[in-house]
Formats: sequence, C-alpha cells, structure tokens
Amino acid sequence: MDMVSLNIAGGILVSICRDMGVTLMRTSYSTIFSESLDFTCGLALPSGELVATGDFCPSMIGGMPLLLRSCVQEIDLAELEEGDVILHNDPYRGGLHTPEHTFFKPVFVDGALIGFSVAIGHICEVGGMAPAGFAGEATEVFHEGLRVPPVKIKRAGKDVDDVWRLLLANVRTPRYNYGDFRAMIAAVDLGERRMADLARKHGIESFREHVAALMDYSERRMRAEIAQIPDGRYTFEDYMEDDGITADAYKIRVEVVVEGDGLIVDYHGSSPQARGPINATLGVAWGAAYNAILQLTDASIPKNSGCFRPIRVLAPPGTVVNVDFPGPSVGGNTETHCRIANTVMGALAPGLRDRSAATDGASHSNFLFGGTDRRTGEFFCCYDLTPVGWGGRSFADGNDAVGGINGNCPHIPVEVFEFRYPWHVEEFRLVDGTGGPGQFRGGLSMSKTVRCTDTEMTFSYMSDRQKLSPWGIHGGQDGGRAELFIKRAGSEDWLTITQAFNKPSPSKFANVPIHPGDTIRITSPAGGGWGPVEKRDEASVREDLLDGFITPEQAVEIYGLRP
Amino acid sequence: MKFAPNKLYVESYVKCRNCGVLIYDAGRADAVTKDDAIYCSEWCVDWEADRDRRRAAAAE
Ligand SMILES: [Zn+2]
Repeated sequence: MDMVSLNIAGGILVSICRDMGVTLMRTSYSTIFSESLDFTCGLALPSGELVATGDFCPSMIGGMPLLLRSCVQEIDLAELEEGDVILHNDPYRGGLHTPEHTFFKPVFVDGALIGFSVAIGHICEVGGMAPAGFAGEATEVFHEGLRVPPVKIKRAGKDVDDVWRLLLANVRTPRYNYGDFRAMIAAVDLGERRMADLARKHGIESFREHVAALMDYSERRMRAEIAQIPDGRYTFEDYMEDDGITADAYKIRVEVVVEGDGLIVDYHGSSPQARGPINATLGVAWGAAYNAILQLTDASIPKNSGCFRPIRVLAPPGTVVNVDFPGPSVGGNTETHCRIANTVMGALAPGLRDRSAATDGASHSNFLFGGTDRRTGEFFCCYDLTPVGWGGRSFADGNDAVGGINGNCPHIPVEVFEFRYPWHVEEFRLVDGTGGPGQFRGGLSMSKTVRCTDTEMTFSYMSDRQKLSPWGIHGGQDGGRAELFIKRAGSEDWLTITQAFNKPSPSKFANVPIHPGDTIRITSPAGGGWGPVEKRDEASVREDLLDGFITPEQAVEIYGLRP
Repeated sequence: MKFAPNKLYVESYVKCRNCGVLIYDAGRADAVTKDDAIYCSEWCVDWEADRDRRRAAAAE
C-alpha cells in the first residue's frame, strides 16, 4: 500500500475522532467537558483494536485498548443491532476509575459490523460518598459511585429508559449527567456516521485493508523507535506519599526490559494494594506505560493498537498497580497514573538521554465541591484540575503551569469559574522559585486562592506531592512541593486540612464543610530539573531573575550568579 | 472471569498472577495453572520463574 493513501486514510480517521471530541465539548453541560476537555474519542475494530484516536486525554488514549478488549469479550457481537449504544465504567473490567464512562456504538455497513465509535470521558458526579467524586477517604469501590458493567443504554436507536432511570437515580446532579451522557452519545453518533460513510465510499474491503496497513505501519514505526534504545534492564522507583487513610507511602517499582525492537514493562515489586483510593486499575497500569512510551518516542507515530503491540505490561494483581475487587481506585487514574508513567520514563532516561525529562509535578490537585444553588435550589457539582510545572528536558526548561502529563486538561478559566460557581478567585499566579534547578529548569507551579461567596458547600480533594518532591534527573534538582491551606471566615490563620479537620492526609480527603467567607489556597507541584545547575548558561539565569522565575537568593546560592 | 450461571453478576475476577490480565472464556485455552495460581500463558509462567531466579541471584 502506498504511503500517500495510507496517510490520507490515517488523517481522515483522526479528524473524525477530533470532530467527535469537538461535538462532545460543545454539547456538554459540565465544565469538566466544556472547559477541561477531560475526554477522548476513538474508532475501533470489532476485535476491540483501536484504529484511531483524538489527541485529547492521554490517560484515556492508553487506557482504551484494554477497555475495548475487555468489553468485546463480554458482549455478544452477534446480538448487536444498528443504533445500539453500550455504556461501561467498571474499574475491574478494563475501566480506569468509576467516573470514566465509556460509550461505544457499533458501526454497520450493509449489515456487516465494521467497528465501534467510542467516546470516553470523566463524568463529574457519579454518586458515592462525596459530591463530584474523588472521595479521598474511600476504602471500597462502593464509596466511589455507581459501577456500570457493559450495558445497552440505547437499543436499535431507542433509549433504554429503565437503564437511564437507574443511572440518573444514583447521582446528585441528574440533569447535568443527562446532558453530559447525551453529549457523549452525540459524539459516538457522529463517529458512527463518518466511519460508515468512509467505508461505504471506498468499500468495506478497502477500508479494512487500509486500517490493517495503518496499524502495521504504526507497529513498524514504534519498533524502529524501540530498536534505538540499547538493550538492557532499566529500573526506577517512586512513591505515592499516602493513600488518604494512613501516612504510609506506597512504592511504584518498574523494570523495563528492552530486547531488540520490543519492550516489557514489569511492575513486580510495587507495594500491595492500598486501603485508600490511590490504587491503579489494570487499565491505568497499561495506559501509564503506553503514555510514557508515547512521550519518549516520535509524536508523529499514528496512535492505534499497532503502536502498542511491541509493548508488554506486567501488573501483578492485588498491588497498587492492579487493584483487586472491591478495592478503591478513584485517585489511581489521576495521581498514580502520572507517578507510574514518570517512573517508566525515569527508568528509560539513561537509555534515551536526549529524549528524557525530569518528572512533571505529577498530581492534578483535583478540586471537588458541591452544594445547592441558592437561586435555583438545584444541586451542583464541580471538578477542577490545577496546572503543574513540567520537568526540564535535554534541550529546554520545563513548561510552566500546564495540565499534567496524563490529563492534558486545561483548568477552568477564571471568568467561567466565577460565573458558574459561588467562588471569587482572589489570586491565580505562577509560583516563583518552584522550578527544580538544573541545566534546564523545571517548570513553575501554579497557585490559586478562592473565597466562597455565598453558598454552603462540601469540598473534597485528591492530590499528592505535599511530602515527597518531584524529582530531577541527570543531576537536576527537585521541584517545589504542593500545598493546600484553608482560612476560615473571620480568621487570619492559614491551616492545613489536617490541622483544621484532623484528616489523616493533607492531600486526600472527602467532605470538608465550606461556609461563605472561607478561603482555600491550592498550590500545585512544580517540575524537576534536568542536568546539573553548574551547566546552566548564565544568560538563562539572568533572564529567569529578571522574569521573577527564580529568587535573588536562588540565583546566588544555587546557580552561583555573581552580581 | 467467573460469571454466575445466570450471567447476571461476576462471581470472581480471574487474573493472571504474573501480568494481571483478566482471563475470560476465550483465554482459557492458553491459560496454565501452577501452584494453585492461574497464568494467562506459558510465557507468564516462564517470565515469573526467570524473574525470581534473577532477583534471587542479585540478592546473593
Ligand atoms: Zn499473564
């Protein structure tokens, strides 16, 4: 097959996925979709193999192959009808955590099943013990909301009303969930139409040949990349600092074995599964390994199941990287995913020095709240994420204040945040001096201070990196840690959540009461530095000083700048 | 995966001891049982044995 037609086919498939994502963004009700784009869309074969995906949320791109593979083993493909839509969020069957809902719709041409149109996205409110999910003190999946095995939410084009009623009876914000579900269905409807049109236009056989060739091409490209890494065994360790229940840290250990043009990511030796909600599901363990490898290889490789064929992931059950039923996992997809992905990248850093990076802040500082709207009486929920500093790289400083490496999710713009929710944003700024020092400095973290205006709310949080710093690499130094403080109305004292509410963890907790006038300050973690500070050129140090990115003390004491 | 006879719920999640994948009916043909544990394939049995050997040797 010639490269021109292959590239055109690949480009069309990806553009379908992007259009699906734009449809989802524009038709959704919740800010986690409309502003933070916490979703992705894809097209798959009847086997569950991923054909193409939109470049939205990396954790979902890497998570989709296992999720689809699990689902197609539970669905009777012969029973599928045109117009069916299947919904799934089960963390133990390929899912990523309970909020991550996947809608997939079979695509038929002339009666033949040619594939699936897929939308996966983070539904803000899923029931369970805390409004807007992310119960930082959950100890079982039943605290984390309603679990949905693969079920038909539409059958032959008609809503299955009983399923809708059951789903919407179990959440605090049924109208929003209804709207967001419809947005996801609109996305899979569009993907179905476009995929079917494409196959009809060129013929089913030609469509299948092009898709197979595209996946083989991705596999060849990925194998060629892996073959550049010297054969060997590469190991690295990092920790989740606590699980929300006790102060114990949990180890992520990885050994990456590179042999020729394939590699094996083995997590054996990681800690047993935690009691609290930091456990990764198997889907997260796969997705984090894939994410890391995609970060380290040529970004132009088409992202489909082909490029993942050379990568084998081993995640022993009952560990923090492969949770067993009924262990909780809601923080595993945002916090532990980035810890695992960075551990894989850290392991491969000696073999891929030019492409290596220090860790990013590697926490999303997930900010969750809910309450009753004083004007309408309707319950509202919100999930906002906080940007982090990225790690220094072999050729440049880390980016300042962007979405973490597994989310790629923008935070909610201040204007939208204040308009939709009862908070006033008092301050939103880069935090000077937080980037890990190095030849290439880590990106700066972000701080956001918000004051509750007029509504009683509950506040929950899921984060990490308050006790253990983001690491530098190749002699680079650590980035700044995360912080979270609260100042009660009428008080001048900034307290940690442990000080204010006696919670076991300062970064993972559920249902703290918020009253009008209470103020919260969230500071995200920064990126680690790359290479020794002695090698940083003086002009960059002076520029950082003028920009206020480093403090005068850092310039002298760390970088050795002479006045 | 062990489903109830009526197929309405999961009785137990059957996972490979080495790589952690769920073993559904279609995967049973390749699955191997050893020391009361189930593995998705001979490859996983061999890998685990090799890893145990390597790590024991490194510890000595
Ligand atoms: Zn296995």
